[in-house]
Amino acid sequence: MIALSDYLVFGAVLFTISMAGIFLNRKNIIVLLMSIELLLLAVNTNLVAFSSYLNDVTGQIFVFFILTVAAAEAAIGLAIIVLVFRNRKSINVDDLNSLKG
Amino acid sequence: MTFETFIFYLLGFIAAASGLMMITVKNPVKAALWLVLAFIATAGLWILAQAEFLGLVLILVYVGAVMVLFLFVVMMLDINLVVLKEGFTRYLPIGAVAALATFALIYMVVGPDRFGLQAFPAPTPLPADASNTKMIAVPLYTTHVYAFILAAVLLLVGIVAAISLTLRRRPPKEVQYQDIDAQVKVQAKDRFEMIKMAPVVEPEIKKEEKEE
Amino acid sequence: MNFVIPNFAPAIPEIALLILASVVLIGDTIWSKRCQNATYYATQLSLIIVGWLIVDSFTVHQIVTFDGSFVRDTLSDVLKIFTVLIALGIFLFARTSMQEKKYGSGEFYVLGLFAILGMFVMISAYNLITLYLGLEIMSLSLYAIIALHRNSGVAVEAASKYFVLGALATGMLLYGFSMIYGATGEINFDKIAAVIATGQVDHTVLAFGVVFVVIGLIFKMGGAPFHMWVPDVYHGAPTAVTLFLGTIPKIAAFAMVYRLMVEAMPGLLKDWQQLLIIVTVLSLIVGSIVAIAQDNLKRMLAYSGIGHVGFILLGFIAGTFDGFASAMYYVLVYAITGLVGFGMMIVLGKGRQEFDRIDDFKGLNARNPWLALMMLFAMFSMAGVPPFIGFFAKLMVIEEVVKAGFVWLAVVAVITAVISAFYYLRVVKVMYFDVPEDTTPIKAVNRTTQWTASFVAIALLVFGLIPSGFINLCYNAVALTH
Repeated sequence: MIALSDYLVFGAVLFTISMAGIFLNRKNIIVLLMSIELLLLAVNTNLVAFSSYLNDVTGQIFVFFILTVAAAEAAIGLAIIVLVFRNRKSINVDDLNSLKG
Repeated sequence: MTFETFIFYLLGFIAAASGLMMITVKNPVKAALWLVLAFIATAGLWILAQAEFLGLVLILVYVGAVMVLFLFVVMMLDINLVVLKEGFTRYLPIGAVAALATFALIYMVVGPDRFGLQAFPAPTPLPADASNTKMIAVPLYTTHVYAFILAAVLLLVGIVAAISLTLRRRPPKEVQYQDIDAQVKVQAKDRFEMIKMAPVVEPEIKKEEKEE
Repeated sequence: MNFVIPNFAPAIPEIALLILASVVLIGDTIWSKRCQNATYYATQLSLIIVGWLIVDSFTVHQIVTFDGSFVRDTLSDVLKIFTVLIALGIFLFARTSMQEKKYGSGEFYVLGLFAILGMFVMISAYNLITLYLGLEIMSLSLYAIIALHRNSGVAVEAASKYFVLGALATGMLLYGFSMIYGATGEINFDKIAAVIATGQVDHTVLAFGVVFVVIGLIFKMGGAPFHMWVPDVYHGAPTAVTLFLGTIPKIAAFAMVYRLMVEAMPGLLKDWQQLLIIVTVLSLIVGSIVAIAQDNLKRMLAYSGIGHVGFILLGFIAGTFDGFASAMYYVLVYAITGLVGFGMMIVLGKGRQEFDRIDDFKGLNARNPWLALMMLFAMFSMAGVPPFIGFFAKLMVIEEVVKAGFVWLAVVAVITAVISAFYYLRVVKVMYFDVPEDTTPIKAVNRTTQWTASFVAIALLVFGLIPSGFINLCYNAVALTH
């Protein structure tokens, strides 16, 4: 039988991979955005699993909203990336250095 | 090992492995495609957890729309791949250690000790005629109607923002538009004009030119 | 199926704001060609209508509607009224700035209204889903507003940084939410609190969720150690947008922390208190020390804003309702003072060039004594010099922390306040004692902004001389809420 912990550990794996992707990837903003999508996937997997094992549909509704928001967020994120590219002719993270951090 | 657990581990492995590939490959197009695979495998896991509607939505919306958008943008921007290839491995060892530590920490909390089958027995399978879509739809339009409207507002914000950020109105000299109204309305007299011209008198040829 | 139509009446301000924002959105496409200012006036009119609707139905009871998705109480009403008032000032300054700098369009106002709608939703959220949606409506609008000045490389860069870190923060927050939902099985704040109060929930899982929630919140508020984006975004964004970012989102963030920590997880006070202590001490130190080295006023105010976040969280650490009230007082005072601090850069910023270096303020007293005095009011208030209002804000927060028994935290707060007074006073010194390179008198960009800035700056002094009314308002609002 599949236990709830199996799903949660799977979510943890995705979470860790996306964190690694965000902090290791110093080059490309688009891959950064994809890592964030993976992070949301980890959250959604957690919620779906909890919803199923707690026998409560609210978790799935939460996932429904997260999917909606993530789609809008991706659209705006990509629009900003397009603007960055038009201004800089590059989407390297390292080139975003005109503001000293 | 039952068939279900086999499927679970297979899909879980595919999703995790393609997630790893996504963050390590250099080419953003390939990264997007690996992410698509991760989404599809995870959708299978959700369906295994009896969330059929969301599993299908994940494929339709995410793979079908969001990832296509990603691919569009990646291909539209002419990215210099040579530059992108540098410098990932430099942080790899320290990053791998940090990632493993994070994972171990989360595992201690969500591992089988707390969320094993003893604490949370597997849910009883729903009958064949149970509709997951209906289970979601009814609370969505009743209990969560406020959130549902807010989601609509959010999508409107997304539309307004994305359009106002990227729409470029180029000056007419740069791009030539087809004005259909003008084309239909055009009359013969707009295109063809009779001009009265004075008769052309042939200029006298000068003597010097003649000699040459 | 039994479905009762929910009570819409408490949400009328939100509904009105949504309708008006949509009208402005559509109207802007129609009238933007013929009449440049129509969108601006329509926006201000919308805000006035919404503000009036809230005042008109001001409530002293807690009303929960939409099956526990939405709450209307005194706290939310007070916060929303202040959001509307400050937003009126923001749009006034922003229009002037955009006219001077020759950019911007109707979308600024439309997205601004939607961002305010998102703040309203956050302030009135009563379950995790609505809180999340409100947060996202606000954040997405703000990302877009920063990038609207799309030919400016720095603005777009600021937007991309804000976007990536903001999305990461949201992810963290959601991971925490998923843990809280998993541990309690509820998403409504009152029910979560009730389940935690039974004591049958696994405490480790909850504490684990709280860690992620706090990380996400601190990211969003801009507190140390997750403050990296704040100076860059404030600096890179056009001043009109910095003014927006630096003021009212903090009010909404206060509401978010209040709803999550105080209403949903009072049973975990010990856990989030410890986390907030670390964050507060770091924020106070970063906010006071790093700001000294800045030569750009926007960056300086950004770092000082990190310090102010530390003070706001100090009120939460006290863990009492008086403490929360003092935090609320602090955040409102901070937002109002920020309106003058950032607004002054717009009032003085004639032409294309930004007026945001500290050197630009050199000898301002000789060039325009009145505006120099107003800037002095703002700086004194931020530094916490009596009798300005900022002094009482700091005093109340520190008093509540001492009452709660954290004397050492109060000592840290006082020391950092003294250090930060140094750089506020440096601006004053530059204005009054340095010799300007250009001695020509400088005039305000236009009368309206000058008088608005002066009006607010004088209010800082007046409410500092008679502080009790404003303070009582905050204490009563929190007292009526729980």
